[in-house]
Amino acid sequence: MSIKLKELKKIITSPVILSLLIIFISFNFSIIYESSHFSGELNVLNNIVNKFGYKINNESMINFKKYYDSNLKKMNKITYKKASKVYNSASEFFNNHEDISNVYTKGDITFFNNLRVEEEYYYAAMNIDSVYKEVDPMQIAEGEIKQYNLRGEAAETVRSEYRNFNKRFNELVKNGENKNLFFMGPVYRMHSLLFHSLFKSFIFEIIILSVLITAYLVNYEFDNGTQVLAYSTKRGRNLIKDKFLVSIFSNLVVATIIIGTGLGVYFTTFDYKKLLKVPISSYFIGEFSKPYMSKWNMTFIQYLILGISLIYILTLIFTGIAFFMARCVKNSYIVFFIFAVVYASALVIPRFIPTNSNAVFIGEFTPFVLSMNSFIWFMEAGAFNTFKYYELITAFVWTSITSVASICCIKNFKKVDIY
Amino acid sequence: MLSVNNVSKSYGKFVVLKDINLEFTNGIYGLLAPNGAGKTTLIKILATLLFPTQGEVLYEGKDIIKMDEDYRDVLGYLPQDFGYYKNYSPKKYLLYLAALKGVEQKIAKNKVPELLKIVGLEDVEDKKMKKFSGGMIQRVGIAQAMLNDPKILILDEPTAGLDPKERVRFRNLISELARDRIVILSTHIVSDLESVANEIILIKDGTIAYKDSIESICKILEDRVYETEVDFKDMERFRNQSFLLSERQGNGIMKVRFISNEEAMDTWNRVHPNLEDVFLYVYRDENMKGLDVHEY
Repeated sequence: MSIKLKELKKIITSPVILSLLIIFISFNFSIIYESSHFSGELNVLNNIVNKFGYKINNESMINFKKYYDSNLKKMNKITYKKASKVYNSASEFFNNHEDISNVYTKGDITFFNNLRVEEEYYYAAMNIDSVYKEVDPMQIAEGEIKQYNLRGEAAETVRSEYRNFNKRFNELVKNGENKNLFFMGPVYRMHSLLFHSLFKSFIFEIIILSVLITAYLVNYEFDNGTQVLAYSTKRGRNLIKDKFLVSIFSNLVVATIIIGTGLGVYFTTFDYKKLLKVPISSYFIGEFSKPYMSKWNMTFIQYLILGISLIYILTLIFTGIAFFMARCVKNSYIVFFIFAVVYASALVIPRFIPTNSNAVFIGEFTPFVLSMNSFIWFMEAGAFNTFKYYELITAFVWTSITSVASICCIKNFKKVDIY
Repeated sequence: MLSVNNVSKSYGKFVVLKDINLEFTNGIYGLLAPNGAGKTTLIKILATLLFPTQGEVLYEGKDIIKMDEDYRDVLGYLPQDFGYYKNYSPKKYLLYLAALKGVEQKIAKNKVPELLKIVGLEDVEDKKMKKFSGGMIQRVGIAQAMLNDPKILILDEPTAGLDPKERVRFRNLISELARDRIVILSTHIVSDLESVANEIILIKDGTIAYKDSIESICKILEDRVYETEVDFKDMERFRNQSFLLSERQGNGIMKVRFISNEEAMDTWNRVHPNLEDVFLYVYRDENMKGLDVHEY
């Protein structure tokens, strides 16, 4: 225990690692801060959910409509009193006025704006069925095949992939997973903010720190020229095992600090309390023409936990890869450079594989590609990543590969001459 | 007992050590050879840092590689070149190494100041080592080698960077320690060994050239080492005829120490050969071998 603590101290006292950690945490805060201006608007939905629940059904919609109508009446009462005008909707009011601050009080404007938001939710909710009638997974498949110029068995694989997904899509619609209120995707892009901007930032920061920490610790003795002293002690070459375990522990702690602080500030800024159990395939989460459709029925909180878990698994995988590289190259900074080259190559090389062979999909099953697509994990995600168990297979296979490689490295180190 | 059995070490076709056989019991062994002769390779094999290409090293009859932690538990090693954590104090660094050596923290906390006092670093035990001189770092190295009270103490060039006073202190310390342990002292500085070593091991061309007491080793040159005074003008001729061990100027003439197989002249004083004479003789240049001082 004492040795591991002393190894851990080397990381804690490294100015490079500490500085990077602080910079990364600050960067995450800045991402959240940039979007924090609409956090007030998000509370409109919380208010609606508070009154009618997040499930969209006949009863909730009737109640929602009554509530909306009464607020519209209230608005018209005010507008009539102050400007002798009435409107069919809050949107109409805003479309016809550019400068309203001279006529209406701040409270009036906030009320009108909230009504406009409620209105958008109401009409969007009414429109869900027609949107999903237009969604055809097989058509998406053909679009993907055309976009990536897939031919032969590769194209067939995508069709088969989407045929399987089609079943899930029908189930999703049947379950009514799509019919749940959530923050309006096209307006606020909250899914992208959380699972793309923030998660991607988390992942890159954790990767950078994991590689640096692992390489730094594993090569610490070689970097300081103390290898002949350290590895001739009683602990000897078994020290590498301690260094590996401490690297894993430190990287998991770093991941926890980055994710914990980031999500802590995120959920303090944006109130999700009432929406945690909303299915992630809700129509409202969708931000573009195609809605987000998860491969399994899961709630927002389940999806979030699954995403965080996958980040932890990626942390372990990248620690293993960095450990392997650090054993081959005895300089921490060169290890980092090689890792960056391997990472970039792993993203680029699959693009050169012939598009008529199933081999084109193999290059996608890597932690490097997986780490790029956090916002569509466990979802319909295009030709290459819609395989039902894509994330699980990638995580399992690479965890196994890096575990075996790490054990081999430790065993091999016991037989290596140290100069 | 530590036994080196038929140990060879090579890198591809380059052979560093050839079929080395040695036995060490309690006492001080001086490993003497010029730089690059294979001393450090042999020592690193004894420290389990290098693995022999052939042969084995046994401690108390057991293979040291298989003994793993049990062997290194009784080993104290001062490498020739070693790094240190520049921002650590010697106290902190020794506590770290003590942990690696399996010394209990409580014991280490008492032992570290004790050792720092022995090597004369008690006043700077909390100062960062980046401010230390080479000699001070060397003393930290000596202290760390003794942290676990080793049964086998291997010291590679231990006096490098030490001033004369520290060297004397070090020699006394080693003599004290050698009573109940194996001390292997590798050096190319002959004077480090003369007063302390029980046995000298001379390595040449990757093999053991001699392993014996200083007295016995010096017998190699018995009755063949002389001192005399030579005029400057005759020096060139003298150099060509004899194997010079040392020469120094004094009172307008040269005082020389040399090896000769020829019958002694009246002006030559026969002297007792010392270890340095043997060292210079054994490791003489290839082109000096023609001087025909036959080997025993």
